[in-house]
Amino acid sequence: MRILTIARNTYRENIRDKILYNLILFGLLMTLSSVALGQLTLGHEDKVIVDLGLASMSVFGTLIAVFIGISLVYKELEKRTVYALLSKPVHRREFILGKYLGLLFTLLINVMIMTAGLWLTLLFHRGVGFDSYLRLLPAVYLIYLSLALTTALALVFSTFSTPALSALFTLFLWIIGHFNTDLLEFGKLTNSTPIRWVTTALYYALPNISNFTSLDSRSVIPHAGYYQPIDPRAVGWISVYALLYAGVLLAIAITIFSRRDFK
Amino acid sequence: MSVIEIEDLTKDFRVGFWRKRPVRALDQLSLSVERGEVFGFVGPNGAGKTTTLKLLMHLLHPTSGSARILGEPVDSVSVRSRIGYLPENPYFYDHLTAEEFLSYLGSLFGIRQPALRRKVSALLERVGLAESHNLQLRKFSKGMVQRIGVAQAIINDPEVVFLDEPMSGLDPLGRREVRDVIVSLKARGVTVFFSSHILPDVEVLCDRVAILNKGTLREVGALHEILKVRIEGHEIILVGPVLEMSDSLRPMCDELRLMGDRLHLRVQTSSQVEKILSYAVAHGAELLSVNPIRASLEDYFFSEVTHQSRLLVSD
Amino acid sequence: MIGRRSLPGHPFGWFFWAAVLAAVFLIKPAQDRIDTRLAPLSAGRDLLYFSSPVVVKKLALGYDPLLADIYWMRAIQYYGRRQEAARRPVRYGNLAALLDITTTLDPDLIDAYRSGASFLSEPDPIGAGQPHEALKLLDKGIALHPLEWRLAFDKGFVYFWFLRDYNKAGRVWLAASRQTGTPPWMEGLAAMALSKSGAVESAKALWQRQYQESTRADVRENARNHLLSIQVDEDLWALEFFIEKYTEKRRVYPRRLQDLVQEGLVRYIPQDPLGAPYQYDPATGAVGLSPASKVRYLTLPYDYRKTYREKLEQLYRPR
Repeated sequence: MRILTIARNTYRENIRDKILYNLILFGLLMTLSSVALGQLTLGHEDKVIVDLGLASMSVFGTLIAVFIGISLVYKELEKRTVYALLSKPVHRREFILGKYLGLLFTLLINVMIMTAGLWLTLLFHRGVGFDSYLRLLPAVYLIYLSLALTTALALVFSTFSTPALSALFTLFLWIIGHFNTDLLEFGKLTNSTPIRWVTTALYYALPNISNFTSLDSRSVIPHAGYYQPIDPRAVGWISVYALLYAGVLLAIAITIFSRRDFK
Repeated sequence: MSVIEIEDLTKDFRVGFWRKRPVRALDQLSLSVERGEVFGFVGPNGAGKTTTLKLLMHLLHPTSGSARILGEPVDSVSVRSRIGYLPENPYFYDHLTAEEFLSYLGSLFGIRQPALRRKVSALLERVGLAESHNLQLRKFSKGMVQRIGVAQAIINDPEVVFLDEPMSGLDPLGRREVRDVIVSLKARGVTVFFSSHILPDVEVLCDRVAILNKGTLREVGALHEILKVRIEGHEIILVGPVLEMSDSLRPMCDELRLMGDRLHLRVQTSSQVEKILSYAVAHGAELLSVNPIRASLEDYFFSEVTHQSRLLVSD
Repeated sequence: MIGRRSLPGHPFGWFFWAAVLAAVFLIKPAQDRIDTRLAPLSAGRDLLYFSSPVVVKKLALGYDPLLADIYWMRAIQYYGRRQEAARRPVRYGNLAALLDITTTLDPDLIDAYRSGASFLSEPDPIGAGQPHEALKLLDKGIALHPLEWRLAFDKGFVYFWFLRDYNKAGRVWLAASRQTGTPPWMEGLAAMALSKSGAVESAKALWQRQYQESTRADVRENARNHLLSIQVDEDLWALEFFIEKYTEKRRVYPRRLQDLVQEGLVRYIPQDPLGAPYQYDPATGAVGLSPASKVRYLTLPYDYRKTYREKLEQLYRPR
């Protein structure tokens, strides 16, 4: 399938990008340093390790998604490599989808590496039960979903904007996406109906990243007091959300890209 | 059925900060190219050559008009498996080696291994890059890039090949190689449509030529038809006692130049030719050559272009 | 067919766009389902991963006021979501810390000190029931804003109402009344607290002040409820008192409350402050608030009944 061919080539290109390794390295360092940080809390080392490990996976994964994502299309347009490609029997939508899948695959490898790092760190610490390792996987899965969504966002901007602006907007939307609920509450607190409509509309329209951070150490480590079991239906609905939202973003990216003149 | 049919193809670009002013890059171009032809597309910079090629490749969307390749509209993706394209000043994926690059593009045509591998090595051989097959493209020289560009344009054994300035930036050796490739393509019955502003190359290779200026088609036809009206006389080169002869010969011809031990004479009519020849032979000079002065494409080109510019200026 | 115009765009036509539109309209229901499923989780949501205000301030990277606003909004939500609060192991366990972080990030957010103290002091289930935490918060604010007399007012209030330490309340108010900018009535309030501790009058005056003075609607509402409740208490104590007097004379309970008027004991029978008549049971002689009453009754934390009755005894002169 042509999409997979392009995806494979994208993956190959990403793998040879130095920025990928720097970010993975930083991510792993963060996870390792959590061991030291954990000593500062009393008796909550594993919680800190898990939370910090997941947070660094999320942050550095997002940085990778953004920095590679924004240049996915832009680089091809800038360097004109897209001409040779599009003169082959390839639909423009296949190009976009191929690029997207290629980066998704790169991110998958990245997430797997960082999960392995987290497992090793936990192993080194020897404080958690075996089931916690398994319970990490849904949390990692949710983070991966958020990366897929962020990548789609970066891809949309990449079809029409310069890397600087794309990075800005994507990161901005990602950060705002953590405060969606606060925005909604803010609207409820004000007594102005038009403001409430605006905030409610924004709540649904902006990417709701806080959905994907709902599983953290409380679901992974079953200590008494703050344990929260994982709700598989919630995870299911979050997957649906991610699929729908990313789908809409990809549709937008495909449309913009198809309409473009390549001067 | 013509292999390429272009009908009233027009392209406007919006320039200016607010994208208000349209600039017409191509104005109602109509032409057709037959199977097996080598068709040249010439014009000064900014004439619209690259725009036309990009419109044919559906890299640009036309403002109006249409074009068909092999009977299919240009936005059809399936027809692209039967054509090849070399963009102007091409740039390819830096991080890939020559072999990887051609394999990648080849796989987009659905060519599978092991046929793909064989095809790629044959292709590299054909464009003279067999030794660099493992070299990353970022390390290629300009000439090598052009050659791999030609390779990727023909990897699918296309019926029609579109080349945008294929000789640009090449040294004479490189240009010769590309010329040879075009000739070999023609021998196989492939239709070649290429744009260039290196006119001597076009003259040598093309069956028919279209001349474009400022987005409008000026002239199209077989080369010899366009140029045939312009046999402007003959040039005679003599050696021998040239100094003595020069004064007597001067009234017999239009122009006389002494270059070392040779005399270059320009005459208009054949009777002038006869007179000079008999005189020269009678006075012990030796005839080196008699050549018709045919306007080259270049001259024609310049005259057309400057004529039009003068027209515009006088408006 | 020569010359089919190649249109820019229209990659897939109407079907594609219908699908996109459908997806857009499906996002809202999906999000709602997620919210429903995640809502119970947020009851225990650890808002205080970093419970040290100093750490939070360091992490704010200079965006302190913005982060303060966010924490303040979360504190209000934390306080305001009654059902969620009811499900927490400790109803308002994190409130003090949230307010501490908010005021560390933005020390000038006076509202946070004031309303925060109110939320903290009110007993369970209305508030956290932690008046000492409220005092700590107010002291923090006073240290940074010594001339902000409203903080001193709130501090005295906590002492007076929730801790019943009338002396300390009076001293706080007195000190504040000596500063420039403090309104003159603070002195009177101090005097009342220091002298006539326990009188319902000072309680009423206090709630009256807060009602007039606060800028927050919910705090005013609370004050109003307290005032109305005190009025109800007074009415009921008076009615009980006069019912007793009637019974002493007539040896039976009055059939209706109107009988008290006919007996000449009172001039009229009051209704509750929001217009509903009080309920009277002639069999037991008990009076109470009608179930149809709109008054949100808050119990007085201590018994003013005795002192009120003594006052009534003094005022009452049988005809």
